[in-house]
Amino acid sequence: MSAAGLIPRVWLAVPLLFLAAVAVAPAWRLLAEGASAGDAAWLGVWADPFWRGRLLWSLAQAAVTVVLALALGVPVAWVLARRAFPGRALALRLLMLPFVVPTLVAAIGVLALWGPRGWPGAWLAEAGLPLDETPWLLLYGNLFFNLCLVVRAGVEALERVDGHRVAAARTLGASPWRAFWRVEWPAIAPWLASAACLVFLYCYAGFGLALVLGGPRWATVEVEIYTLVAHELALGPASALAAWSLAIGAAVALGHALLERRLGVPARWQPVPRARPAGAAQWLGVGLAMAVLALVCGAPLLAIAWRAAVALAGGAAASLAGDPQVWLALGNTLRFSALALALATALGLLHALAAHGLARGGSAVRALAYLPFVLSPVTVAFGLLLLAPGWTASLSLLVAAYALLAYPFVAQSLGAALDALPAHWAQAAATLGAPPRRVLVRVVLPLLAPALRRGMAFAAATALGEFAVSLFLSRPEWVTLTTLIHQRLGRPGAGSLDEAFALAALLMLLALAAFLLIDGPRRATRHASHHASIASAHARPA
Amino acid sequence: MLDLHDIHHRWQDQPLLDGVSLRVGAGETVALLGASGSGKSTLLKIAAGLEAPQAGRVCWDGQDITGVPPHRRGFALIFQDFALFPHLDVRDNVAFGLVEQGMARSAARAQAVALLARFGLAGQASARVWTLSGGEQQRVALARALITRPRLLLLDEPFSALDADRRADLREEFGRRVREAGMAALLVTHDEAEARAMAQRAWRLAGGVLHALW
Repeated sequence: MSAAGLIPRVWLAVPLLFLAAVAVAPAWRLLAEGASAGDAAWLGVWADPFWRGRLLWSLAQAAVTVVLALALGVPVAWVLARRAFPGRALALRLLMLPFVVPTLVAAIGVLALWGPRGWPGAWLAEAGLPLDETPWLLLYGNLFFNLCLVVRAGVEALERVDGHRVAAARTLGASPWRAFWRVEWPAIAPWLASAACLVFLYCYAGFGLALVLGGPRWATVEVEIYTLVAHELALGPASALAAWSLAIGAAVALGHALLERRLGVPARWQPVPRARPAGAAQWLGVGLAMAVLALVCGAPLLAIAWRAAVALAGGAAASLAGDPQVWLALGNTLRFSALALALATALGLLHALAAHGLARGGSAVRALAYLPFVLSPVTVAFGLLLLAPGWTASLSLLVAAYALLAYPFVAQSLGAALDALPAHWAQAAATLGAPPRRVLVRVVLPLLAPALRRGMAFAAATALGEFAVSLFLSRPEWVTLTTLIHQRLGRPGAGSLDEAFALAALLMLLALAAFLLIDGPRRATRHASHHASIASAHARPA
Repeated sequence: MLDLHDIHHRWQDQPLLDGVSLRVGAGETVALLGASGSGKSTLLKIAAGLEAPQAGRVCWDGQDITGVPPHRRGFALIFQDFALFPHLDVRDNVAFGLVEQGMARSAARAQAVALLARFGLAGQASARVWTLSGGEQQRVALARALITRPRLLLLDEPFSALDADRRADLREEFGRRVREAGMAALLVTHDEAEARAMAQRAWRLAGGVLHALW
């Protein structure tokens, strides 16, 4: 007996019906609408030079981000995985930060730094190199999120490289560089390819960054869909573009799934030991790697904090505190996020527990939890608008859409933890007289608690920072912090911009606080290390 | 008395157990030897009810229990790696089965502490299980198995996770405690010396069938 069968399979129907109603049916409706949109249908958008340009630019900005993230990320990952230096552990921990920061906050951070009012941005503009109206701001914003993703994947892959193989290559005459190229690179390449797929998908399907940083000139397909629906009510071309987004997302996700199957981890391996940098050149390498991380991932967040502090000191605090819209937005953000988190947790738990141990089609059923990652928030919201126009002002639909985007984090985290949970604990409990329900309550759930908290922490951060769905489905009285920041950005005047910075800082703090409160980093790490120590103490084949 | 009747089990289309029949009498320790992958642990899991045989019957005192789930068999299995619960302290690990029998938690804990004292682990009752040595973990696993007075002890290589130089001492102590408990036991091992020290009868499982050793 494994943890399988701890809850009846029939519970799987709940998340699957939810997915069918909130993800598959809207996507299907979009495809149908796109196919019936006359001139603008499917292939029609490629025939139109404007839309073709938008589609190609969307693909290009994602592809360029992949190349930049790999070019910068692999050396940084190598330094973090192979060099021992003060601050290394802190840098690894801070790499989690962009996963928690809402996209709109990141966009504001990039503007605070490189926009026309940012310090280096203004300096570049004076030097005749203004960055606004160029694609660089969007690419920089893309890198803020995705460099960390590539670095984390790279560090994980490099730490799984068998040190004995590298040592064997060195004793067979390979230089350090040749050993990297012939032994380490082939081992980490599938991991990096998998990360590259995710980067491409996130950049292609991203909305908040492209809306704020791309501007009208460098708008991506997702932004155009929003403009067509919200401002021009041109549902036909919007559906055709959304159908292409769906198709491209599905193709990349399929590629990712195929790559994931190739990610082998040796049953036992001796990690390559980390060496302290020796000599000025190696220290310079470490310094450069940390500088890249600080510039790409740290600077935008510091810029927001700085600009928010200046704005609050300059009077924004009083105007925000006296603005009922702000309090309404804060209340709505917390209310919607709490409701979505509760729903996402219930769905994720049911999905992971009921799908675990399924012999036939188990991996396919589990992969369904990733479906919301494949659909962009814009296609989800637009599909729901088309499918249930009468429901678009309903709170339950809004919360369902939030939960759809958040629950894969719970299901994925629990699924991975269930896979890693040795069956013997559940078996031991059963032989000690515990029936399945008691095994679940007394053994499996307590052992899964750290993974559940981790998944919930990401889900909470996602819900708090949700932007695209809020913009599509929200009513004026449902203003959230993200939509309020967007409103303030659209208003003329330095005062509005200052308020946007202060609100972005507030949202960032909320997301961070929710993450830390739920995840409880110290507790989680300690628990994980218990498991690791127990597993390593008994690492013997059964 | 445990009776395994004509057990057949295939794994990846290969016969793992090909008509195995085995009896463990009251108060008797029977050893099952075999190489890695010979199917001896599978046979143990079938006896425990953790796996269902593809053919054959499992009986206790003549009654067919093949379809009885593991938590209703009244057997206790000691795993190769002891499978102590990492989220519970030593005392709650030992008290686990008593709570499942419906005993109040405080009473179960008191019994667990008393048994731990007899096993020389009085000072470790509130320790976390991963802070114990291998030998101590084994004693906790044995206490956890014995506290509910199971009808049969199933032992899956209980010494293999221990240091080789301490194995003989621990084997003697372990065997003494099992004998004192007066329970029937089925011991799975690949170490013949271990089987000789502990078991009255022994079989070797090879090619899916049993060969009598002594």
